[in-house]
Amino acid sequence: MELERNDTKLAYERIRERITTLELAPGSVIDDGQLADDLGMGTVPVREALKLLAHENLVIITPRHGLYVADVNIPDLERLSEVRLALEGLCARLAAERAMVDDITVLEALRQEQASTPADDLRRLIDVDRKFHQAIARAAQNRYLADSLERLFGLAQRLWYLALPQLGFLPSAVERHLELVEAIKARDGGRAEQIMRSHVQDFYDQVRQVLAERRGMDSELT
Amino acid sequence: MEIESEPSLVLGIDTGGTYTDAVLLEYETRQVVATHKSLTTKRDLAIGIENVIEGIHIQDPAAIRMVSISTTLATNAIAEGKGRWVALLLIGYDPELISTFKMAGQFATPHYFFFEGGHDLYGREKKPLDLPAILAKVNEIKGVVDAIAVSSYFSPLNPDHENRAYRAIASICDLPVVLGHQLCTKLGSVERATTAALNASLLAVLHDLIIAVRRAMDRRQIDAPLMVVRGDGTLMSDEFAGRTPVETIHSGPAASAIGGRFLSHLDEALVVDVGGTTTDLALIEGGQVAVSEEGASVGQYKTSVKAANLYSMALGGDSHLTWGHDKAVEVGPERVTPLAYLAWLYPSVEAQVRTLTMRTWSHAKPDWLEYWFLLREPQESSDGVTPPLLSQRERDLVDLLRTGPQPVPAILKHLKVLHPAQAGAHELMRQEVVGKAGLTATDLMHIEGRYTIWNAEASAMAWQAFCQFNFMDPVELRQRVWTQMSEMIVHAIVTFLSGRPLPLPDRQRGLDGADRDMGRWFFYNSLYRAHPHLETSIRLRRPIIGIGAPAGIFLPEVARILNTELILPEHYEVANAVGAIAGSVMVEEELLVYPRLSRDGLEVLGYYVQASDERREFEELDDALANARTLSRERAEGAAIRSGASSPQVTVAELADGLDTYRIRAKAVGNPRLAR
Repeated sequence: MELERNDTKLAYERIRERITTLELAPGSVIDDGQLADDLGMGTVPVREALKLLAHENLVIITPRHGLYVADVNIPDLERLSEVRLALEGLCARLAAERAMVDDITVLEALRQEQASTPADDLRRLIDVDRKFHQAIARAAQNRYLADSLERLFGLAQRLWYLALPQLGFLPSAVERHLELVEAIKARDGGRAEQIMRSHVQDFYDQVRQVLAERRGMDSELT
Repeated sequence: MEIESEPSLVLGIDTGGTYTDAVLLEYETRQVVATHKSLTTKRDLAIGIENVIEGIHIQDPAAIRMVSISTTLATNAIAEGKGRWVALLLIGYDPELISTFKMAGQFATPHYFFFEGGHDLYGREKKPLDLPAILAKVNEIKGVVDAIAVSSYFSPLNPDHENRAYRAIASICDLPVVLGHQLCTKLGSVERATTAALNASLLAVLHDLIIAVRRAMDRRQIDAPLMVVRGDGTLMSDEFAGRTPVETIHSGPAASAIGGRFLSHLDEALVVDVGGTTTDLALIEGGQVAVSEEGASVGQYKTSVKAANLYSMALGGDSHLTWGHDKAVEVGPERVTPLAYLAWLYPSVEAQVRTLTMRTWSHAKPDWLEYWFLLREPQESSDGVTPPLLSQRERDLVDLLRTGPQPVPAILKHLKVLHPAQAGAHELMRQEVVGKAGLTATDLMHIEGRYTIWNAEASAMAWQAFCQFNFMDPVELRQRVWTQMSEMIVHAIVTFLSGRPLPLPDRQRGLDGADRDMGRWFFYNSLYRAHPHLETSIRLRRPIIGIGAPAGIFLPEVARILNTELILPEHYEVANAVGAIAGSVMVEEELLVYPRLSRDGLEVLGYYVQASDERREFEELDDALANARTLSRERAEGAAIRSGASSPQVTVAELADGLDTYRIRAKAVGNPRLAR
């Protein structure tokens, strides 16, 4: 059972959220003592959590210069999208083949929640989206696949927050999720994979565009 | 060969209703190295814990190999309704049955909802699980509640619906989810639901405490495992406690009993722990705290949590002494701050009490001995959420008390009201903004010089004024209070051990005529030796172990009346904190073995072995039982090691439960594993 909420896990979740929501900016230096105070936690669990995050490539630990939040750049984005496209697609295919009744009930519930969430409640939409992808990963019944996607999702979420001011929530996502649930219900693996791939592709295309525009603006300014 | 003799220190902390105690113990030699007491801060226990860790002056934090804590936090949070908001999802329960028998009040949360599903007595699905309805409800309430509890009908026999609900709920929201079958293998569906709901409501409460203690340890560079005492006196790791906070119910009194045993080396005894607020009784049998199989009750709630068999009475060192009818002194049940302490804190109080002793009789009513004082400023709210809205009268009262503690008649006069109930103090007292002080047994202990830390002079003057009011001799009346408290404890002991209430006799009507019932007369005559010719006596077969600072005063008389020996072990005043470190780590794993029936229920097709998260199937009962024994042993041992036990010993017991159903219970017990 995953109820275990020890200090380390709690610290991990809180710091990870701060990184993915850009509250801890990419490239910024992390003072672990200060962070422990901010979170109202001990330094031991905070350090443990930072190690876990380093493993996820969200935090960089250098032997001499301490800790900092991993940077984001466009080449990174390309590599990341390659892997996510393949894995999310595979995941959707397996989910269509293996999903149990309960999995579909969960997907239905999340889809409905997404559809009824106001478009300006971005945090909640992003959260529901994440849960939707996690639920598909669970329906695929492959732990290693789910673990890999979970690690990548942290990085992807940060990109999302980075692009948010321009991007907003993808209105097509609601429709895509509906199609995806229908394909999984129909046990159509090929179609599920195709929908998921184009859904993820859309996301990266838009993020890429936003980041490129911003970079253009930045270079014009300097 | 040289043996390195680095000390293995362990730190035990007990947060009681009045005091937070700490003790530093050398684990191998079992010697008490240091002790410390500080006042419990109920609104935030972490403050008291910080103070006591600070106060015990740890020389070398690196030498500390374990910290263990017993806490009244869970019990208090339930009794005072301060747990978090919980949604209780009931699967397969019959709403009509619940309402007919008025059982809903038992659920410990007003937010309970019924869903279709559940299993029958043979673990067969009664009705399919209505998962869409559950998820719709969770979606609706997830912004309102802090945790979710799920209990499904007959889930210990077949937890499938609880597990499925858990997986689905965890997929759509981040709230903690508690499942009934993980807390309890008994079949009582209401108790299981209550236990799950209480556990869910306590998750955040205990979690905050654990983090607070961990931070306090961090600040002092104490890097050691943290253990928490369960209601039966055994220990669990802080991580286990974080998941099953409901198991800490009654952990304080259980720790006292364990500590009493540890310090006295007695394996059979009655432990009497006289604290500041309550006196708690527990039995030691075969070196263990006697456990109630029925499950612990807190307030109106009956849980299925295994806890020490305890009897708790509202009588302690800080019980308020007041005049009752017919010149009788009433002891308690209310707990107040001793005047000795208040006068020690505020010299103005001593001066006020002194003037009182010089007044004439009619101007020295005993109400003048009750003081109200400001504990803290009201704006810092106790729960940190909503700042309390003060009425005008409450503001006036706070303004007045900012100038220092005031006797109640002076407060009433200032506020121009006639009765204390009009003074707007009730809510402020509940929030621990305003405190109440008065004469207590602790004051009498100061007068006798048994206790010297606070202002004995103020206690003596207050007691004199108190006695004068009814023209009593201070020495004689003091003696009478001691006798009275001893008698109250004797009656509690008889009630606890016999399981039958024995009220205090009505002294005014005389013992003989008070009761026509022969059985009662026997008891009273044995306790008070009233009859001139007939002598009866009652004897407690076990010695009494006294614990807590006032134990040395009341308990000799208690032991004399009950014709037994009183043992006051060294350091008995902090035995509760000793008990926090003296317990063993224990984990129990219970598996159920029950028949798999054919659809029509007439034929036994095989046997299931049901664990909390797995089920195996066998054709023969013997194979199923053999497998259950091995499995329970493995599971218990593994869980004990994960919970911080070093090389646990496992025993397996088998109980027939009727209907061809068996409970296989493995118990793994070991000493706590110390750091390094």
